[in-house]
Amino acid sequence: MASYTERFGFDDTKLRERLRYFDIHETDLSLLITHAELGRELTPGIVEAFYNHLLACPETAEYLSAPGMVERLQRKQSHYFHSMFSGDLDLAYVEERLRVGAVHERIGVPPRWYIGAYSRYLVVAHAAFHGRLEQAEAVATTAALEKVMHFDAALAMDAYIAAHLETATRQRAAIRELSTPVIRVHDRVLLLPLIGTVDSNRAQEVMQQALIKVSEEQARVLLLDIAGVAVVDTQVADHLLKMTSAVRLLGAQTVLTGISPMVARTMVELGVDVGTMHTRNALSDGLELALDLVGMKIGPIA
Amino acid sequence: MIPILRVAGHILVSVQTELGDDVVETFQDAVLMAIHNDRGRTDGVVIDITALEVVDTYVARVLADTAAMAKLMGRQTVVVGMRPDVAFTLVQMGFTLPEVHTALNIDDGIAWLDALHTPGTTRAQRVGPLDAPRSEPDTNR
Repeated sequence: MASYTERFGFDDTKLRERLRYFDIHETDLSLLITHAELGRELTPGIVEAFYNHLLACPETAEYLSAPGMVERLQRKQSHYFHSMFSGDLDLAYVEERLRVGAVHERIGVPPRWYIGAYSRYLVVAHAAFHGRLEQAEAVATTAALEKVMHFDAALAMDAYIAAHLETATRQRAAIRELSTPVIRVHDRVLLLPLIGTVDSNRAQEVMQQALIKVSEEQARVLLLDIAGVAVVDTQVADHLLKMTSAVRLLGAQTVLTGISPMVARTMVELGVDVGTMHTRNALSDGLELALDLVGMKIGPIA
Repeated sequence: MIPILRVAGHILVSVQTELGDDVVETFQDAVLMAIHNDRGRTDGVVIDITALEVVDTYVARVLADTAAMAKLMGRQTVVVGMRPDVAFTLVQMGFTLPEVHTALNIDDGIAWLDALHTPGTTRAQRVGPLDAPRSEPDTNR
């Protein structure tokens, strides 16, 4: 599996751009390195205060209820805190931030906790540094820390959004596949049952897939069953007509079935010209017609 | 160069190159001359466009026109092998070519042309062998 930095297209150029955008300079990093010792010293207090805060909120506390969970996370947080003072905001650091963001997304931690946690961190760290350093130095150091934390939070959000987009893309692909089930019911006869809402996007998708299938199977007849289509309006009727025309251009015919009394009424009242289409009420009638068109028929056994 | 073959009593035109402005007239001439030169020994025209990856409205028009011209000369035309994406694009552009008959492949195209004539008779029975002199119907009577 590709690293997160690769999947996000994060390279040195992008990293430099990102650092520049977050106004993080060498001076900030060296300031953090200078106070790394102090950072280490303050870490346990900051982390503890942070977890007390999380435990005080019922929503987050529930997540931390597993035995040993808090201790384990505190160790990780300490480690993370130390890494912020390392001054190494390189690709490896970005990779780790993206990975952590992706993990949190996967286990269902909402982004608001993430942002809230960072905000809490800053408040605690702010107080700790101001208690230990000269006013000017404390301001500069906490400013540097703030920039790095926001830099980190942005990376985590990137990971969140990317993960959601991936899920959405996967689902769209699945829906697309499900929405065009072209079934071969007999030699050179295909059946496409349309179900649900037919908007322009879907109609085009269905049409493309159906045409490819007709061509692949060299089907003479495409049975298009619209019994499951929620609403048949002028637009849907127009799509159906287009589909019929395109199928005919390939050299095949369309039989439109599943036309309920209401749909029949609507189509006539809308003035849809279905003169060029074969239409039937029941799918079984349509199937008979389709078989007739390819020179076959269903008959009794004896 | 447009290859034109005589297959099962029909003219088969296989379009192999994109029909640009410069080729169109050659294409139409070739089809019409083939009809003219066969002296009634063929029944229909099959235009195979399997090789065409792009058919714009201009080419679609040309196909329809060619069919209309062939019809004036007494031949039915069937266009076969249109690709799915070509059909999709044409319909999206509002070109449904209602005046042109289509078929999935050459076999289906020939079957359709054959079906236009009396079932059970072959071309040879109707017209006679290719090298036999053709008896012209007496129009004066």
